[in-house]
Amino acid sequence: MPYHKFKCSECIPEREKHAVVKGPGEDITSALPLGYLNTIPGSISERGCAYCGAKHVIGTPMKDVIHMSHGPVGCTYDTWQTKRYISDNDNFQLKYTYATDMKEKHIIFGAEKLLKQNIIEAFKAFPSIKRMTLYQTCASALIGDDINAIAAEVMEEMPEVDIFVCNSPGFGGPSQSGGHHKINIAWINQKVGNVEPKITSDYVINYVGEYNIQGDQEVMVDYFKKMGIQVLSTFTGNGSYDDLRSMHRAHLNVLECARSAEYICNELKVRYGTPRLDIDGFGFEPMSASLRKVGLFFGIEDRAQAIIDEETAKWKPELEWYKERLKGKKVCLWPGGSKLWHWAHVIHDEMGLEVVSVYTKFGHQGDMEKGISRCEEGTLAIDDPNELEGLEAMEMLKPDIIFTGKRPGEVAKKIRVPYLNAHAYHNGPWKGYEGWVRFARDIYNAIYSPIHQLSLVDISKEEIPTETKFLTQKMISDMNLSEEVTSSKDLREYTGKYDIISELRGKTYPDFPAQKKLSAV
Amino acid sequence: MEDMMKDRVEQLVDYIMKKCLWQFHSRSWDREKQNEGILTKTMQILCEEPVKKETPTDKCYWVDAVYLADAFKSRYSWMATLDKEEIKLLMQELKDRIDYLTIKGSLNAELTDPHY
Ligand code: SF4
Repeated sequence: MPYHKFKCSECIPEREKHAVVKGPGEDITSALPLGYLNTIPGSISERGCAYCGAKHVIGTPMKDVIHMSHGPVGCTYDTWQTKRYISDNDNFQLKYTYATDMKEKHIIFGAEKLLKQNIIEAFKAFPSIKRMTLYQTCASALIGDDINAIAAEVMEEMPEVDIFVCNSPGFGGPSQSGGHHKINIAWINQKVGNVEPKITSDYVINYVGEYNIQGDQEVMVDYFKKMGIQVLSTFTGNGSYDDLRSMHRAHLNVLECARSAEYICNELKVRYGTPRLDIDGFGFEPMSASLRKVGLFFGIEDRAQAIIDEETAKWKPELEWYKERLKGKKVCLWPGGSKLWHWAHVIHDEMGLEVVSVYTKFGHQGDMEKGISRCEEGTLAIDDPNELEGLEAMEMLKPDIIFTGKRPGEVAKKIRVPYLNAHAYHNGPWKGYEGWVRFARDIYNAIYSPIHQLSLVDISKEEIPTETKFLTQKMISDMNLSEEVTSSKDLREYTGKYDIISELRGKTYPDFPAQKKLSAV
Repeated sequence: MEDMMKDRVEQLVDYIMKKCLWQFHSRSWDREKQNEGILTKTMQILCEEPVKKETPTDKCYWVDAVYLADAFKSRYSWMATLDKEEIKLLMQELKDRIDYLTIKGSLNAELTDPHY
């Protein structure tokens, strides 16, 4: 096994099996790191906890819900508003955060009364909201507060409300991924099948593992609606609580982030026979393949093809403009989980970037199987890296940019490597055809930012060059490009608007009358 | 001859491992069903044989198979030179190789977890 030993982790020998280099002739049967194991003591992990995975990743993107944490205020506050999963109801789920504010005295005397009082207060403060998700944290789980019993009590007293309970305290798994798992299973056990939906189309899907980061879900739902497909629910970005209770009625589960949501798709298949279709919504070719497959499933491939043709013609010249300027740039693709495989091959194929390293904070070995298969030879793959390993890898690989989260991103900046936020994006959405061009533009802006160029001068050691004139981004990026490229009439920079989501919300769609007899509940 | 077959199988393997996701379900029993369902249907499409797609599960396999068969035909011009028997042989070797990479030779310790 071609393990990679980090110098900084020599004192933690167990770390060795968590990093591999995909050498010549290697495949996933010979190069695969360990994964989804408890973080080794002494290694300062960048992972989140299982509560965070359940609540902040999967639960909270649901839009018409009060999301309440039962625990100290810090658990919920720490990640409040760092996510950008927007919604079409004025971002209700992002604007407010709720915690029961447990203190030391509650640890001793219990906090069930406090919980009940908080639930009722929250419903009274937001009388139009009748749905709640309720999360256990380490503190409330350790003292044994029975949050299921309290939720049941409130539902009895207030029959108009519905509460979902998620028992996924921080220690409930090696990482946030433990929480993804728990909330998937809890949702299908407690809530799916409770509501009968109104079916309005012959073609009905659940769109699963999609969190509407800066509008991704709305871009994809726009395509589906143009095809006459009813998106019964989205698990969970911009998703509605009651729609998600009716997931059992879809004909197909279209699965985007398998890492966080394959569990519910697998269970829906076992319990209701709904098939699971894994798709990639990032990149022109994968996006087209995904739309075509969904179209094929329903026998409406022509509708998918019309979207593919129109979008490709419109946006391909813009993607190519960036590709010419990004070719050969080295990237460390260091996201949390699924983006390591969603992006690994397609940023190489469609933007010309060279992926020199992939890592995952909370991915499982299955994610590394996908990611390593999609990478080129020589890529360094790391599971659950610590900060020093990240620094050592950057010093060794000298990437031009890294795609990662906020915390490691800020570390990268300190050694003058620009970063893009792989979880929350910079100027998203990044899904769909236009979104993919926006991603390319963000990469371009980060690599060629004049400010970033200035930061490369170490003023503690070097003279500030006074004779060099200020260079704009384009002057820097076009310096070594041929005349043919720089003056090409076929290529152009991004022409879209700052906000491409708002206008989707009021859009009307073609009417495709349903052929079959539809239910009206 | 054997080398040519091996080389062709590897080209198809490379396409599947880079572009597809269906072979990477999380448990070995699902991977077995996916590989069998999709690669058998792909073979049938390439050999112009009838393909079952009456149940939702079969239809879902068929969708991935149609896409795969189209990709094979458009990317690998040598595909058009094969007769049905040769395609069947090639697809069997391909299935064996994908089964090895994703199931039998897989280092993924979660494949045998009895629960989802
Ligand atoms: S690990 Fe426990 S205490 Fe820390 S944020 Fe997560 S739930 Fe709260």
